[in-house]
Amino acid sequence: MLAVHRDVVNIVQAKFLSAEVVKSIHLNVSSLDGNWCDEGRILALVEYNKTFALFILISAKPKPVSISDLSIETVIPIDRNFSCDTEPIEDSQCHIIFIITYKKTKLSFKIEIGVESSNFASEVIRSKEVSSHNSPVFVWLDKYLGTMNQQNRNSSDLTEQSDLPITRQHIAQGQTAINRESMLKYQLKLREPEYTQIQEFTVFVGTWNVNGQAPTVSLRSWLSTDDDPPDVYAVGFQEIDLSKEAFLFNDTPREAEWNKYVLDGVHPKAKYRCVALIRLVGMQLAVMVNTQHYPHVSNISYDTVGTGLLGKMGNKGGVAIRLQLHNTSLCFVNCHLAAHVEEFERRNQDYKDINARMNFRRSPLAIKDHEQVYWLGDLNYRITDLTTTQVKTLLARNEMTTLLRADQLNQQKERGNVLLDYTEADITFPPTYKYDLNSDTFDTSEKARPPAWTDRILWRGKGIHHVAYRSHMDLKISDHKPVSALFKSEISVVDQNRYRKIHEDLLKKMDKHENEYLPQVTIDQTEIIYDLVKFREPQTKEIIIANTGMVPAEFEFIKKLEETSYCKDWLRIIPYCGSINPGEKCDVKLIVNLESDLDRIYDILILHLKGGKDMFITVSGECQKSSFTVSMSLLCRINMPILRLSKEELIQAEKNNLLYSVPREIWLLIDHLYRHGLKTRELFESSALHEELIKIRDWLDHGSLDPIPGSIQATAESLLLFLSYTKDPVIPFNLHEACIAAATNFQNCRQIIVTRVPDLHRNVFLYICLFLQEFLKYSNDNGYDAKTLASLFGDILLRDVDRNSKPQASRGKANFVYNFLVNDLSSSIVPPK
Amino acid sequence: MSAGPYNYSYIFKYIIIGDMGVGKSCLLHQFTEKKFMADCPHTIGVEFGTRIIEVSGQKIKLQIWDTAGQERFRAVTRSYYRGAAGALMVYDITRRSTYNHLSSWLTDTRNLTNPSTVIFLIGNKCDLEGQRDVTYEEASKFAEENGLMFVEASAKTGDNVEEAFLETAKKIYQSIQDGRLDLNAAESGVQHKPSQPGGRPGTAAGGDQPGRDNCAC
Ligand SMILES: Nc1nc2c(ncn2[C@@H]2O[C@H](COP(=O)(O)OP(=O)(O)O)[C@@H](O)[C@H]2O)c(=O)[nH]1
Ligand SMILES: [Mg+2]
Repeated sequence: MLAVHRDVVNIVQAKFLSAEVVKSIHLNVSSLDGNWCDEGRILALVEYNKTFALFILISAKPKPVSISDLSIETVIPIDRNFSCDTEPIEDSQCHIIFIITYKKTKLSFKIEIGVESSNFASEVIRSKEVSSHNSPVFVWLDKYLGTMNQQNRNSSDLTEQSDLPITRQHIAQGQTAINRESMLKYQLKLREPEYTQIQEFTVFVGTWNVNGQAPTVSLRSWLSTDDDPPDVYAVGFQEIDLSKEAFLFNDTPREAEWNKYVLDGVHPKAKYRCVALIRLVGMQLAVMVNTQHYPHVSNISYDTVGTGLLGKMGNKGGVAIRLQLHNTSLCFVNCHLAAHVEEFERRNQDYKDINARMNFRRSPLAIKDHEQVYWLGDLNYRITDLTTTQVKTLLARNEMTTLLRADQLNQQKERGNVLLDYTEADITFPPTYKYDLNSDTFDTSEKARPPAWTDRILWRGKGIHHVAYRSHMDLKISDHKPVSALFKSEISVVDQNRYRKIHEDLLKKMDKHENEYLPQVTIDQTEIIYDLVKFREPQTKEIIIANTGMVPAEFEFIKKLEETSYCKDWLRIIPYCGSINPGEKCDVKLIVNLESDLDRIYDILILHLKGGKDMFITVSGECQKSSFTVSMSLLCRINMPILRLSKEELIQAEKNNLLYSVPREIWLLIDHLYRHGLKTRELFESSALHEELIKIRDWLDHGSLDPIPGSIQATAESLLLFLSYTKDPVIPFNLHEACIAAATNFQNCRQIIVTRVPDLHRNVFLYICLFLQEFLKYSNDNGYDAKTLASLFGDILLRDVDRNSKPQASRGKANFVYNFLVNDLSSSIVPPK
Repeated sequence: MSAGPYNYSYIFKYIIIGDMGVGKSCLLHQFTEKKFMADCPHTIGVEFGTRIIEVSGQKIKLQIWDTAGQERFRAVTRSYYRGAAGALMVYDITRRSTYNHLSSWLTDTRNLTNPSTVIFLIGNKCDLEGQRDVTYEEASKFAEENGLMFVEASAKTGDNVEEAFLETAKKIYQSIQDGRLDLNAAESGVQHKPSQPGGRPGTAAGGDQPGRDNCAC
């Protein structure tokens, strides 16, 4: 298989240790990266200790001539995270895209369609199959990873699992685990940019710890201070009810009260519809959308996580709502984390628990899996290491930077302990906690808690542009001030027409791939015509089965309905089944060997591909008559060699009178043996050359004035052949049983021969026995005894219907014949009529 | 019944039959690939195609066998009828002889399939109106008399191709709903779940092995 580029393989191999074997390579590969197309890549499949890896090499020349022409670009271990696939190129018949996916990394290569590519692909697929059976260890790759650039190294190192694309090969093989639906989803996601366009939606996110107060004042100054109405509202509260009832039974009239105020407080220039309202004890979250967007909201789901008392009560924790807006997944999380200045680690833990335990029914996604996540709430992080007075002084001096540096959330986030990957807008508003009720004055109570930015809004995901981040001082009923953030968020909006087209296109493609991935082979000829087919002169014709498909093709010749074998007994097919790899071929020999009396041979063979189509192969040929296979009765009615007569004349001859008492051919053979063979050792046991037998056949069938050709042993073997193949055996089939039963008694045997065997057959039988008796007179010279001859001729004179299997009841037949070799036969001879 | 872990609930086996050259392979190709294959090689054997369609919200996989039309293969292709849920019987509207042979194809179909097999008559090449040799009316009458569904179609333009395949599936699906088609019968031509294409001679259920083991090889 590697022979194509043996020289290049050697050069590539030189890049590796000798135990790391280059199994297969592919030259002239272009690596596709977006719109870029980098030529001069070589793909190499390398095996070490039953583990495989795919190397992408940069080659300085189209065909590298030395090891210095090559450098390693990327290494991809072939394990369960690895998959490969191909995709047709729109306007190219001769190239295809070969896609390697490893976790979230996807590499595409343009390669030419041909033997090289299909060989390479099948090697890769095979190695992938091997790898999925064991858990490969890839320490040997470490040394190569060092030679790659950093970016690539990361990509092969990702710990996060992404959807594994399913290789088309599996679909075609109808593997039960294949989920066409998930394949379709995956493909649709890949092509999302083609059927969606980005639209900016205004998202308003608000959070307020209301300190157990009932609503009394309009929320307009918080929820609708902007000129234009937002498209989406997410409004979160904490501590809407601090009563024991709310805590123990999670039931409070405040939910409806606050929600009513929210609905009254939203922007008057638009109508809103609630997507979901969710509450856990005092934490409440409502998501609303402008009514016109509501039809585009789907997959709404929510959950709550309590992290409070006993680590599970709802006095602390989070509530979340997820939804899909058009084609973008959104998640809003409202939380209330552990209180007290020194408890920042507890808060970090609460955050982690919320993430881990938030479990949206009807959606497999976790919080972090959403394209956009908005995190709001009373996160409760405080300002550390500064006294209340210091904070107030710094605030008065507007030294925000110093203060924010002392903010625990900023500190913990920076250390990667919480809200990693989340972004927060710059804080320009004063701390939102803790105020004296109905005032803008920071806590004047005994405790005089230092002010803090407990109430925060952060986000994570692509396409979120923050517009505003502020607190709302007008609302004074709580010891916290409400906070809000306004975003312009990019929502991917589906163009239904384009989506339908692409969806249909993908379905079509999948059907097409499925059909493409059916095994495909071509055969070079479907009609095999043999030259004149002659008795026992085999002819071989070869057909070439070429795998032109993308998957290994398993072929087998199968039998037709109501037939017992996949071919007639005059044909042998070698091999009659097998497996051919893509791009490879298999020669199949069809050997015809005629051993019976046929005018012509004809059959339709069915070549079946497992999981695919069937092909018909017609085999035919004219046959030449031979005295060896026609009936002895016919031979006794013609006075010249069989081939001197036309087929019509032979049919006519069946009605002629008997001209001979034994066939001419038998007489000629025995006469020759009588004259020249009586003293020959091993006369009947040395096998003659095939050509000698053919010559004798032709001498008999065509007739000749020349003496009989070949050795005396060839004549003896021809006699045995003649007696074995003649249409009806010398002793008719129906008498075999009686003969075997009579074998112990000569008179009984004689009785059968005289009264039950037809005249012609009796003549032949006695004629042969008389010759053998004569032959036995020379035992001293030829070394034969009666027993040996009897067992040799028993199986032939009483041959079975099935010539190809082991003779039945050989001993009985030999005993029967023995009688006629050792007894006087003169009384058995019936004079010819 | 739900699709379960599979992506389709049923497999329907179809056969396409009719004289050589009427466009059977082109019809199959048009249906599976939505393309006209003008230089389609003669089918020497039985080609195989598949497509998933939807009927009444159910996903159905069609397994389509396109047979060789030559008279000399007739004896062999007969063995592929067994277990077909649908038979598309095709003639060429521009060649009368192909229409005249329909009764012989129909006899085979009736003899070799079961009574619930849906037979759909397709008059192909209706794009060649100018060379028409068989009128719509008479073929339609023939179909009616024999209880066949019927359309004129063109594998070239794609006209009515989709319809013929889908209508056949709808009718089969109806038979299942009505209980007229016994899914448990081995030869209903409908399977509940995916499997390798089967029902060919020699590989048919029952596990019969090739008759002769050619141990010489
Ligand atoms: N004009 C026209 N030609 C067709 C149509 N269908 C098939 N053909 C042509 O008819 C010939 C035979 O088609 P093919 O599918 O091989 O026939 P099959 O022997 O029944 O499989 C080919 O040359 C096709 O191009 C059709 O709908 N319109
Ligand atoms: Mg065809």
